[in-house]
Amino acid sequence: MSRGRSFLVLVGFVFTVGSAGRASAGESLFYKEVNLIGGYSSRDHWAGRSSELLNSVGFEDFRKFSNDYGDYLTTDLQMRVGYDSLKNAEDGWGIQVHNAWLLYKLNLGAKLRLGHFDPAFGLEPQVDTHAMLLQTLAAQDIGFKKDWGIGLEGNLSELDYKTALQLGSGMAIYRRDDSYLWTGRIGSPKTGNLQYGLSFLYGNVLESMGMRTWPRDDLMSDNAVLKKRAGLDSQYLFGPYLFKAEAAYGKNDDNDVLGYLGEIDYTLPRLQNLEFEFQAKSWINDLGEGSSDDTTLSLGVSYKLNQSKTLRAAFSHDLNRFGQKKENKFLVQFYFFGA
Amino acid sequence: MLKMILSAIFLLGLYTNAFAAVGCSLDDPDRDVKKLFPESSGYKTTFVTLKEIGGEAIKKEIEARLGDTFDSIYENLDVPYAYYTVLKGKDPIGYIHGVNQKGKFGVLQLVLATDLQGKAIAFYYQKISSPESAKFRAVDFTGQFKGLTLSDFAQRTAKVIDPSASSAEDFKATLRGLKKNLILLDLFLHVQGHQGGK
Repeated sequence: MSRGRSFLVLVGFVFTVGSAGRASAGESLFYKEVNLIGGYSSRDHWAGRSSELLNSVGFEDFRKFSNDYGDYLTTDLQMRVGYDSLKNAEDGWGIQVHNAWLLYKLNLGAKLRLGHFDPAFGLEPQVDTHAMLLQTLAAQDIGFKKDWGIGLEGNLSELDYKTALQLGSGMAIYRRDDSYLWTGRIGSPKTGNLQYGLSFLYGNVLESMGMRTWPRDDLMSDNAVLKKRAGLDSQYLFGPYLFKAEAAYGKNDDNDVLGYLGEIDYTLPRLQNLEFEFQAKSWINDLGEGSSDDTTLSLGVSYKLNQSKTLRAAFSHDLNRFGQKKENKFLVQFYFFGA
Repeated sequence: MLKMILSAIFLLGLYTNAFAAVGCSLDDPDRDVKKLFPESSGYKTTFVTLKEIGGEAIKKEIEARLGDTFDSIYENLDVPYAYYTVLKGKDPIGYIHGVNQKGKFGVLQLVLATDLQGKAIAFYYQKISSPESAKFRAVDFTGQFKGLTLSDFAQRTAKVIDPSASSAEDFKATLRGLKKNLILLDLFLHVQGHQGGK
């Protein structure tokens, strides 16, 4: 079966599965997802993926469970089948489990989270980037955006806290070289125009060669990297502008590392379907070595066709790339997320 | 490999009970419920879409009560609304409901807490992008909507003064969004067979 035909079959299949159960109301939401992405890269020429996104189809199933005394459990399963254009046709397909967690309310006001979810570090757990062309620092900083494990979260009087202990393997389930990842974040509630947070990270983290949950992508090494970090993040909503920033400093084994990101999003007041985004992002892999940074400038545009369909485009330009050829990339994306 | 992946999806798909997409749910319901109803012991979330409870006919009815037509982005039939029934033990003591409303620079998220008769106990902005957001969020302004009901909406809101210097559009959007909030909550509670009031 050709790649294109296989993909169309999958699109049809997920839509059929998604439509089959529609009928009853209740405390459950089901979304179908289609992500079509392509463009041109000065390094790879045809680009059928971004750094974090593949051509894919998938779904999200979100549920609330309650008894006579109220809600006590929330679950979320969000997964997709994706095709990695950088691999050959036979090995390109894979399942990505994005969210697979349950959140159980404890009596003390805290909640226990179990499964595959965001490490409690930096900007990433505060913003949902699973469909975005412009990403946070998480992939450079930790190496992945989600991991398997257990977490605890709740509210203090004026602040929210969350902490997690995870496998340190990211999308796929691996346990090598005593890998683990501990993260913790304390920050302002999500409802203010100004939001901020302070995060810490410590762990033996594995480095994967891809984003698949199944079949598992190979590890770059069986040896984990000892990572230590402290991070700050902030968002500020002011009129049509949304400012985002984060910075992280620490060590990867013996190397001092530093990363920072700044982003400005602008929504056109008269045409609020349209948003422009500008981002500057840099990750310095070794502060003791010159030109060891990965630094990229990106300009993006997003147009919401309706509640469920969005068109996006982004141009990114590498100012420097550590150990790799610099790249200019232009990507376009069609994204569907809805009933 | 592709066959194995398809089989796995099929097995997962069998147990999924399908649905639609979310409007304005609370970012942190635990914090909000406790703040708005300190005596509460829990809450129950209910999701509902206009498509499920009447579709185009209900939409037209709401538009007639609102006195305005729906926005295609923020107010279509597929948008699932979430409302929260606040409990003390097993007994309901109030409701919390939020709506999205198009503002001058982006979406406003307007959250109302009401008693069992639909009378507003509190109002706050979960999200507001106005440069004058502090004035809108101030208790001096939001407190004026305490006691508001759907039946006395026009009478009570006529006395409320725009707190901003140059954001009249957001003020008008707030009034429209609050009216929509009360209409929808009233509708949802009646449809779901809860105690609610006009």
